[in-house]
Amino acid sequence: MDSTLTVRAQRTIAYGFLFFILISMATPFVWMISNTFKEQYEIFQLRPTLIPEEPHLRNYVRLFAEFDFQKHFLNSAFIAVVHTASHLFLASLAGFAFAKYSFPLKDFLFLVLLGSMMVPLYTIFIPLFVLVIRLGLVDSYAGVILPGVAGAFGIFFMKQSMEAVPGELLDSARIDGASEFRIYWQIALPLVRPALAVLAVLAFMTSWNDFVWPLVVLRSRELQTLPVVMAGMQGMYRMEHGVVMAASLLSTLPILLLFLALQKQFLAGLTVGAVKS
Amino acid sequence: MSSASIVEDRGLRAWWSRSQRKVLPYVFISPFYILFIVFSVGPLIYALYLSLHRWPGSGPMRHVGLGNYTYLAGDPVFLKSLWNTVYYAIGAFLFILPLALLLALLINSTLIRIKSLFRIGFFLPILTSTVAATLIFLMIFNNQFGLINQGLTLLGIPPVKWLDEELVKISVLAVATWRYTGINVLYFLTGLQSIPPDLYEAAQVDGAGAWAQFRYVTIPQLRPIALFVGVVTMIGSFQFFAEPLILANGGPNDASLTIANYLYRMGFTNAKLGYGASIGWVLALIIFGLSFIQLYLFGAFRKED
Repeated sequence: MDSTLTVRAQRTIAYGFLFFILISMATPFVWMISNTFKEQYEIFQLRPTLIPEEPHLRNYVRLFAEFDFQKHFLNSAFIAVVHTASHLFLASLAGFAFAKYSFPLKDFLFLVLLGSMMVPLYTIFIPLFVLVIRLGLVDSYAGVILPGVAGAFGIFFMKQSMEAVPGELLDSARIDGASEFRIYWQIALPLVRPALAVLAVLAFMTSWNDFVWPLVVLRSRELQTLPVVMAGMQGMYRMEHGVVMAASLLSTLPILLLFLALQKQFLAGLTVGAVKS
Repeated sequence: MSSASIVEDRGLRAWWSRSQRKVLPYVFISPFYILFIVFSVGPLIYALYLSLHRWPGSGPMRHVGLGNYTYLAGDPVFLKSLWNTVYYAIGAFLFILPLALLLALLINSTLIRIKSLFRIGFFLPILTSTVAATLIFLMIFNNQFGLINQGLTLLGIPPVKWLDEELVKISVLAVATWRYTGINVLYFLTGLQSIPPDLYEAAQVDGAGAWAQFRYVTIPQLRPIALFVGVVTMIGSFQFFAEPLILANGGPNDASLTIANYLYRMGFTNAKLGYGASIGWVLALIIFGLSFIQLYLFGAFRKED
């Protein structure tokens, strides 16, 4: 009797604590959503309201009419899609080579690849910017995408799953006269589709949420991405919180929908680094 | 003529079918190495060169030897940003990681049945961009009318200036806690779930209670994941950038400024590219040094077992 009581008490405390943290973590989301339907004065009035007193869509209308939200949304989407597609191609191709061929210097080259992940972004930040200027890539999407497109992590990740592709399958294709590239493209790639989905989700989210690099590379306003434009709204003389929250919500939505659709891939992708160690 | 070219063509083809498996792997991996050399190794070396010069971004460079580094050692703003960054890192290790471990242990325990609700709920904040996340917290921490101060006022407590010099670092840490706790819960859960259950069974057979099991099975088994989480958190803390910038623009009075913020200010706002580059190299040395220490400590612990 005593011990069941303790278990029940323990369970109550555990659930209580978890729900307390969950509600704390949900509050900023709820506050964001609620405020997108409010006027500025209602956001900051003495008594906060969960349900807006006079809900309206003016913040959303202004976001599209005054801040060209749709343009910046498409800019972000374009960069993220190009980044994701090129990253998947380069990472899977290199991962395939590391997993399925033996060649001189392979171990050394792979070590270099792993070591490249140690280079801190901010150490190379200023010279990288100088380089991008010299290459004439400043204020272009190429300048945003190119430096980060062949990430070592993606190659490492694809190598792991390419190793599971049976070698006999590749050999029989060779006997049929298929070129090595075709073997990669038509046999190996379809077999690692689940891993590609995981990497795609990660790459898309990284690019979509990226802030610092697009901030320095993209100069003209019409090219800028969502996070850069949103950060700029904060610096304005009078920050329109309702409009900014509408932007925050709409900019989070694609990733949120992607997460709900591909939950398993998301969670697998984000813990893959931990599992490898 | 035509037959000769056919023969030659055959020879080329035969050569290609013999050697493509030797050549192509290098072709397949070459994009990474080309981009790595151009966009990482080159800039890394160029950063070192720049850090020995004074350069406003155009015109001639002036060689100053180690001048930037000696100036850095006495620059009060840099030292402040270094201290702030260390403060954030300590906050992450003393607050975010223990909280994440506690949450992971609770979710993993037999007490809790609805595990995925919490796992996913805690995880959602990291899906927002740092910019969106920080903008939300601007409304929550507003010095007068933020959500927290609205709540305090209702309770009859005067509003607290969350973004003033004294409290701004705590507020920045709160944003980081909101955004990064869930991913670490996920890491710890992965580690907890990979502990073989028979280890616990064996401990029970030996008469180990809940605490002894935690102390002698869970903690040692979590070591690899703890090392991973520790290194990732340390590297992330020392490259902390967007949250203090957007929440308080590094201020007030540089109270929330990080090393990365200061580097950005020097390199891009003040056009002191050489000085900024020297900050970057100091940052790299700190990160390498601390990574090495972490790996060494964990490796040394392992030998004791």
